[in-house]
Amino acid sequence: MNKSLSVLNNHPHIWRARDQKQSEAKFSLGFPRLDKALNGGVASIGLVRISSLTGVGELTLFKRVICQHRTHKLVVFINPPGLLQSPWLENLGLKAQQVLVVKTRSEQESLWAAEQCLKSTACHCVVLWSNAVNPKEARRLQVAATHNDALCLLYTPPQQQASQLGYPKADMGSDSQANLSNESGSALPIALDIALKGKPHALAVNIRKQRHGWPKDNIVISHRWTPDNHAIKWAMAHNTLSDQALHSVN
Amino acid sequence: MMLWAYIYCYQLTLDSYIKAAKTKRAPRQGSRGESNGSSSSLPSNTPIAVYCSKTNKITQCNDIAKKEGIEIGHGLAQAAALCPYVHILPFSEEVERHMLTQLAHRLYPLASDIVLDNHMHSNSVSGLAVRLDNLTHYYGGHAPLWKTLTQALAEADIRYHFASAWTIEAAKVLALHKLNTYLHTPDDVKKALSTCPLSITALSPKVTDSLARVGITRVQQLLAMPVQELGRRFDNNTIIYLTSLRGETFPRVTLFRPLEHFDNFILLPFDIENTQHLTPFVTQQFEHLSHYLRARNLYTSSISVHIHFREAPVMDINIRSALPQSSVESWLPLFSLRTENLVLPEPATAIALTCQQFEEIDTQNGDFFSDRFNDIAQKQLVGRLNAKLGDNSTFQPHAADSHQFEYMTVTESSAGHCTGNYAYSSDITPTFTFDVPKPLIQATQICFGPVRLHSEWWHDSPTKRDYFIAQTEQCVRLLVFKDEESSWWVQGLFC
Repeated sequence: MNKSLSVLNNHPHIWRARDQKQSEAKFSLGFPRLDKALNGGVASIGLVRISSLTGVGELTLFKRVICQHRTHKLVVFINPPGLLQSPWLENLGLKAQQVLVVKTRSEQESLWAAEQCLKSTACHCVVLWSNAVNPKEARRLQVAATHNDALCLLYTPPQQQASQLGYPKADMGSDSQANLSNESGSALPIALDIALKGKPHALAVNIRKQRHGWPKDNIVISHRWTPDNHAIKWAMAHNTLSDQALHSVN
Repeated sequence: MMLWAYIYCYQLTLDSYIKAAKTKRAPRQGSRGESNGSSSSLPSNTPIAVYCSKTNKITQCNDIAKKEGIEIGHGLAQAAALCPYVHILPFSEEVERHMLTQLAHRLYPLASDIVLDNHMHSNSVSGLAVRLDNLTHYYGGHAPLWKTLTQALAEADIRYHFASAWTIEAAKVLALHKLNTYLHTPDDVKKALSTCPLSITALSPKVTDSLARVGITRVQQLLAMPVQELGRRFDNNTIIYLTSLRGETFPRVTLFRPLEHFDNFILLPFDIENTQHLTPFVTQQFEHLSHYLRARNLYTSSISVHIHFREAPVMDINIRSALPQSSVESWLPLFSLRTENLVLPEPATAIALTCQQFEEIDTQNGDFFSDRFNDIAQKQLVGRLNAKLGDNSTFQPHAADSHQFEYMTVTESSAGHCTGNYAYSSDITPTFTFDVPKPLIQATQICFGPVRLHSEWWHDSPTKRDYFIAQTEQCVRLLVFKDEESSWWVQGLFC
């Protein structure tokens, strides 16, 4: 009995929380607090799910991951929520030749396209927008990504993770159902599962599940990804020469 | 002496039907799911006859039909009376010519001088004449040459009668007489010719009738007559034919020239309603294509499949591959992906595969670094995605010459002319723009702006917009603008 257990313990796929040995390659996100919570950053291969609203800076957060590694390979955007703008890509640091946009008509086509991209060995990173992914589909993408040295960023809407984000809903009646859906949602066999919530000039990151690490809630990182009128406002506030403000911008 | 072989293909339509049915049956054996197999594919013991509606005659029939009593020359009613369950195929000269051409394509690498013979004297005789005397030198004798040709004919899987003689006309008469012997000495040919009846020669019925009246019914008797005597009684065409039968003239015929592009046509053995059932036949055609390309050391990056119907116009499916390739394994997945969602307007009766553009295999451009494989992998990926999702499903965004957000990015995959020298770069460009601006309906707070943008003066409807970056309560950043009527719109998202 003891012998067979020790054999089981030696299995390389069994991870114990006390093990801190990290052998897998990670891509740093460039935010020290977040990188520390993630034990060095995002896994270089596999499927990463990001649950967030569209437009809170969820792509810019992964700027370093997308732009600074495996630059001879493609970054594929599948089923993006709008027309991807090339000046934005340039600002991010991606060359046009490195980018491919795939438009699909259905969720199934998106998943198919993502799997093909991952399997093609031509892609560094596949960025996929999808509403719902079941564990089987997630497993397929995870396997396709890990076997072909690629990363898949899966963006999903945040609705079903509401209670787990630490913002409990008023109605307790649907709690069990919410928990159920959370159970199925967080059971995805993937490398990393995070939820993002926008805050003014910051981003709250909840690590819901990560491989070889503990979940951690509410890591607030300072995240400015659009220009703002800060300088103007500062100048107006410190304007001592004339007392009449021409126009209030805020 | 010239030596011509005549190959008389007496049941091309039937042969092609049997061949197609055979290829269909083979993959069927394994699959259990196809329940309509019995209705569309006939069992092998069905009597089959080919019926020509122009002459109201059965022109070809298989052995089972013959056993039932059907003979070539019967009318449709007689055939149906003899065997009510006979399967009738329509006869079409066009289709037969197509098949004959394909056969000629097959023989062309082996023999240079080939004459197609199916419209010269159109009494539903189709055959090929191959000149042999100039080839014996290369093959090292008559036997190896004829072996090679019969081998190729066996691969083509057709039934034929053959004969050889000093001219096409003489060989044809012997082939129609079903001689099926390879003769190469003048004496043998003369002996064989002498037994043939005049009825199978190409002489007009009027001529044969008048000859029969004086007791001449065999070729031997005719050839024994002096030409001067015949010349007084018969017209010029008859004399020309007779001299060529004797082997005294040099033939004036058009030799077969193979096409510069690839063209393969298959008559389907039954009507196909489902694109998946086309696959075995298209596979067959892709095999022909790959042999064709391999033999010429070529690749191709675009092919087209034409599906023929009874009524509807021909459906053309053009399939492009980002990477030139030749193998069945690389083209078939593209075809099946492309046709997966295709709905046929009516059952298909025939399919053709054509290929117009070829690319030479370049052995110089390959290096052994990974980038090469990466490049190939990228092209293959794009090819696969386009095949399944449609040609416009993938693109690379390129910068364009405009400062307006809606024209900043062009999506044509082939926007090579866009140099990027004048590309307008802006740090307030959103990640995504919407196709059309949406009205702003939620509470937002402006965090950047305004930026006033006028449209270019040459645009039809000039616009003047004040752009802002606004933030919703959930901290979603939007590109919003106020137009001249002071209404607010959302145009993009910052991700």
